[in-house]
Amino acid sequence: MAKRLSVLSGTVLIAVLVQTGVGRTQTISYADAATLLAKECGADVKKFCKGLNLGNGRIQNCLAQHQAKVSPACTSTMADVIASIQLRLAAQASVDKICARDAARACRGVVPGKAHILGCLLKATRIVGAKCSQAITDAGWR
Amino acid sequence: MSIRRFRNTLALTVLLAAAGNAGAQQLSEHQLVNTLGQVAEAASAIDVAMLVQEVASNPGKGIAGLPHWSQLATLPQFFVEINFENNSVAIEPGSYRTLGLIADALHHPLLLRYKFLVVGHTNATGDAKHNLKLSARRAEAIAEALSTTFSVAPNRLFAIGAGSEMPVDAANPKAADNRRVQLLNIGLVK
Repeated sequence: MAKRLSVLSGTVLIAVLVQTGVGRTQTISYADAATLLAKECGADVKKFCKGLNLGNGRIQNCLAQHQAKVSPACTSTMADVIASIQLRLAAQASVDKICARDAARACRGVVPGKAHILGCLLKATRIVGAKCSQAITDAGWR
Repeated sequence: MSIRRFRNTLALTVLLAAAGNAGAQQLSEHQLVNTLGQVAEAASAIDVAMLVQEVASNPGKGIAGLPHWSQLATLPQFFVEINFENNSVAIEPGSYRTLGLIADALHHPLLLRYKFLVVGHTNATGDAKHNLKLSARRAEAIAEALSTTFSVAPNRLFAIGAGSEMPVDAANPKAADNRRVQLLNIGLVK
């Protein structure tokens, strides 16, 4: 159920981004996601979720339980923030695969290790393709 | 050397305290990654269980000089301010961004191979034993939020409390500045 919910919110977020003319899926940093959450839900958290920690879905569950009274902006922001965190995580997990061919071409002889390969890919802008480049951006590693 | 690093951590605290400013955000994440990414040779000697034991056996007497705690001074680290509800583990929404920044740094490829120690510190208002317990629960709350909400692998995070035993402003143990969270790189994940 929770998984279906986050997939659904992901679709909503993508739709919103397309509608606003961004034209493709974009991810935001965890810091920006957390800032959005604090801005739109901070007052509701303080009102309805006193004493609860952010971790382990507690704030999310608490706000869902009080959904009738929570501001609509908070409810939709919560869904967007969860979706964007998942999108960024998925982007981070996909970089190795998407960039494998570019890394093999551009980074021969580079010391193995994610950070070294990433450093190489970031420098080899003439060789690295658009998909790999986009994946690195979406992962937040530029 | 250690004094210079300490000054750096103070500058960073000031930077993060001003984190409402979107312009400072990128700089802060890069600084976090760069600060924590300095390879720590001393890290292999860090024994988290011994740190907990040392601080528990000495309430109210300070910890900076204890054998295991004194080793921490040499590690890559920084301090941030994370605000909690009074006497609670609930992180104030105003501090969510700081947690997000830390999560961004811990997800960076340069830091993915490392594990980190989250240390909670309180000021000296209230009983030393109570402060120790509260600071440990708060450090655990931060580690939990990082590992669940922000998907940092839980085997990379260790949380302990230092209570009011290591004030940054020793002349004013009750000063609010002493309430802070310390994040240290404690070496490679096995």
